[in-house]
Amino acid sequence: MEQRLRHEAKALLEQGKVDWIIGFEPGSLKFTTTPLITNDKNDADRLVINPFIVNNLANFLTEVKGRVGIVAKGCDSRSIVSLIQDNKVLRESVVILGVPCLGIIDLSKIERLVTKDRNELDDIIREGDKVVIRVDGEKKEFPTTQALFDNCLACEFPTPQEYDILLGEPKPAAPNLAQSRENIEKLEGMSPGERWDFWKNELNRCIRCYACRNVCPACFCQRCFVEETEPQWVLPVPRWQDNLIFQIVRNIHVAGRCTDCGECQRVCPVNIPLRSLAREMYDLVDELFHFKAGMDKDARSLMTHYEEKEAEEFFR
Amino acid sequence: MASKKIDKKDIAKLLSLWSQQFAVFTPSQASGVATMAKWDGKDASFLDWYRNTVIPPKANFLPAMEEMFGFQKDREGYHIELLPSNERKQLIFGVRPCDAKALAILDMTFKEAYEDPYYLPKRSSAVLVGLGCTNPYDSCFCTSLGISPAQSTDVDLMLTDIGDEFLIEEVTDKGKELIAKATEVKKASKEEEAKAKEVKEAARQKVTRKIDTEGIGDRLLACFDDEDYWEKIAAKCISCGICTLLCPTCYCFDINDELVRQQGARFRSWDSCAFPLYTKMPMENPRLEKWRRVRQKVCHKFKFYPMNFGVIACTGCGRCIRLCPVNWDITQTLESVPVKV
Amino acid sequence: MAVTDISQRERFFARGNVYLPHIIVIEKIIEETPGIRTFHFNFKDKKLREEFTFESGQFAQYSVFGVGEAPFCISSSPTRRDHLEFAIQRVGRVTNALHRLGVGAELGFRGPYGNSFPLDSLQGKNLVFVGGGIGLAPLRSLIWNVIDNRDKYKKIDIIYGARSPADLCFKYELDTWGKAKTVNLVTTVDRGDDIWTGRVGLVPKILEEVAPSAKNAVAIVCGPPIMIRFTFPVLEKLGFTPEQMLTTLEKRMKCGIGKCGRCNIGNVYVCRDGPVFTYAQIKNFVSSEY
Repeated sequence: MEQRLRHEAKALLEQGKVDWIIGFEPGSLKFTTTPLITNDKNDADRLVINPFIVNNLANFLTEVKGRVGIVAKGCDSRSIVSLIQDNKVLRESVVILGVPCLGIIDLSKIERLVTKDRNELDDIIREGDKVVIRVDGEKKEFPTTQALFDNCLACEFPTPQEYDILLGEPKPAAPNLAQSRENIEKLEGMSPGERWDFWKNELNRCIRCYACRNVCPACFCQRCFVEETEPQWVLPVPRWQDNLIFQIVRNIHVAGRCTDCGECQRVCPVNIPLRSLAREMYDLVDELFHFKAGMDKDARSLMTHYEEKEAEEFFR
Repeated sequence: MASKKIDKKDIAKLLSLWSQQFAVFTPSQASGVATMAKWDGKDASFLDWYRNTVIPPKANFLPAMEEMFGFQKDREGYHIELLPSNERKQLIFGVRPCDAKALAILDMTFKEAYEDPYYLPKRSSAVLVGLGCTNPYDSCFCTSLGISPAQSTDVDLMLTDIGDEFLIEEVTDKGKELIAKATEVKKASKEEEAKAKEVKEAARQKVTRKIDTEGIGDRLLACFDDEDYWEKIAAKCISCGICTLLCPTCYCFDINDELVRQQGARFRSWDSCAFPLYTKMPMENPRLEKWRRVRQKVCHKFKFYPMNFGVIACTGCGRCIRLCPVNWDITQTLESVPVKV
Repeated sequence: MAVTDISQRERFFARGNVYLPHIIVIEKIIEETPGIRTFHFNFKDKKLREEFTFESGQFAQYSVFGVGEAPFCISSSPTRRDHLEFAIQRVGRVTNALHRLGVGAELGFRGPYGNSFPLDSLQGKNLVFVGGGIGLAPLRSLIWNVIDNRDKYKKIDIIYGARSPADLCFKYELDTWGKAKTVNLVTTVDRGDDIWTGRVGLVPKILEEVAPSAKNAVAIVCGPPIMIRFTFPVLEKLGFTPEQMLTTLEKRMKCGIGKCGRCNIGNVYVCRDGPVFTYAQIKNFVSSEY
């Protein structure tokens, strides 16, 4: 897949079909990749596809000007379609290089499994449905269900539905909803009081870095509601009350646009389980509106239109 | 100066002793996030996993959120109340040399011209017990900034791991006082002091990430106006605040008020030059474009701060590299700055 | 840049804490234009009322408790101390809240901060004031300061303009200065109206027409950033050297004392090393973000 990607990306730039290529290149730390945004065809040789291509590159589409050739996994391509539905991106201005995804390896899970930090590991390789970790001369094997991100475990659309070039064989979906929703089930089992205390405790740690918001492709507002001063909806101060309102309202604002790419939870530096909120909203949207974000590029964005023949009773 | 030593299993006893006088902070891993939290009084099991915290020790002196003063409104007008500070003196156990140096760098800003009345009292009454690194991350680059992962400056006591024991160096009088009455602290032998020296050198060798900071300030100035260069550098940054909020030498803060019915307060909280609205004025924003903000962050640390205070505002702790959502790497940026012809 | 000497200002710290505001009371409100108001105020504390001093060009941080704090220059002159003044345009949260206040309302005041116009180097010189819109506010402090010590200075030219006649600030002062023989006032508007009989044209253009001599002169410019950027080249054309041009810069500020990091241009903090700068200093700024 990697060779094909490099070839295609170079060709797109050479033929002037795109102004920019957005993909992944090896990062500066072990088992890391980093976004590569380039207009230089020689950089195409740096592009990689591996189990660590974790970022949702659709995030950059609202920023990069011109026509873009973009590498997209299943969830990412749905984010692109969601942006098209919101009229933030024109379908003709993106060339989607679809990557059928086997799931991305969660380094924090790996670190917990072998109780070592990532830079102390020699290698992490995926072999079929196992992940093999070589550390201190030993080999340790784990089933992929223990090593992949929770949202990858729940993934129903690993192969991009919307693409221009599919870089590999389509992958079948094998969602393990039970395992990926473990945290959410636990929360749903709590009483409202317990749940309130849980989130109060978690959001006490929030330092308002806004990484969760900035990494999300669905958050494309020029000026976020937390930055509004007239009126000032929430204080820019990291009190748990303001943090809680920020998260709740953000999830409401991205309802119908969130594709459960899991980035918000991954980037949080203080380990707040943000996906528990995002996935819950994702499932609610599916339940109430029979709608999954980013499935049909010609559909309207969920929360921005009203049809007389609304599906649900409660809305009529 | 003759060093002392202490058995690793006696550290908890030492922490208990200190708890009588100080609010003792030790590394804690609540919710999987390494921070300096109030010691739970149990044991020193954090020594098994501790490498470095996510939140740097600046949070103890410049908290993420701080009430500066309260105010009350009544018929006569406003009354301002300074909140009583009944906090105990802090003792932070396990401060890494990079973070200790960072605090010394922060001090310069808060002492200069107008003395900061919130940061400085906390800082001057606090005691730092340093812990030398034995296992640096691959993102650490302290040695490129003139710091060694086991140096004993900027702390009151310095502990070096020599196996089952820690070697203790009394760096300041405050540090000496700390262990004066501790019965578990013994004199260290010459061999143990030699072993500590070896351990310190080994730690230094383990820091593999290196950058050339020679003349970096002037090199940055030379490419300061190169918009294309900075656009390329800033391309993948997402303008969140992680690198700056978690940086031990960053200190930018925001001031906000709240008044609910008749009671209110003014808060100081962490802010970041990476945020788009950081410099926004009503009619214009001098750093509207992302590349300007990225340029400001790099140049402030490696040129502007040294211009004012003579020291680079970076200690190579590597948090920004480890925690950046897009793996933007300041060492890669600095290496790419063109060498002056 | 050298750290400004703040030893004098520590006298004005409330309870020794530089962030604690003093309480001031609004005594009079003048509506200059639909969006700009001048506030006359005084300290609630009698002792402070008598002891407080400042210099032209300095600013203070004014608080609307519960809403926020914002920096504005002190637009009255230190030579007229029965009350203090500041003038603000309604543009955001704090300024809107300020405009909703009435006489008798209480505010917070922290200051004086920043450096000031270098009066010593202005003595014996011809002064050319160039102002635009609300930029006249900081200039006003210096203009009255200079008029009250008239014999120390030579010729005084004031060139002031606004977008339209309704946008002219301090119209009552323009009246006084226009009638006075000791200063030469030229007022202009970008666009006139039915009754306007004065000059019409952008301030830099009118400045070029008036063409004050650069010999033994100092120009003090204040106004919207775009006006300043077009005025400097005109002054240069008239023969002013960069050292002969002064201005005050504006930045988003929070602490006002060089700590929160926000107002910097390179290694210079506008709140502490400014807001008064010469064009020579500005040219040396490492960045053009001013």
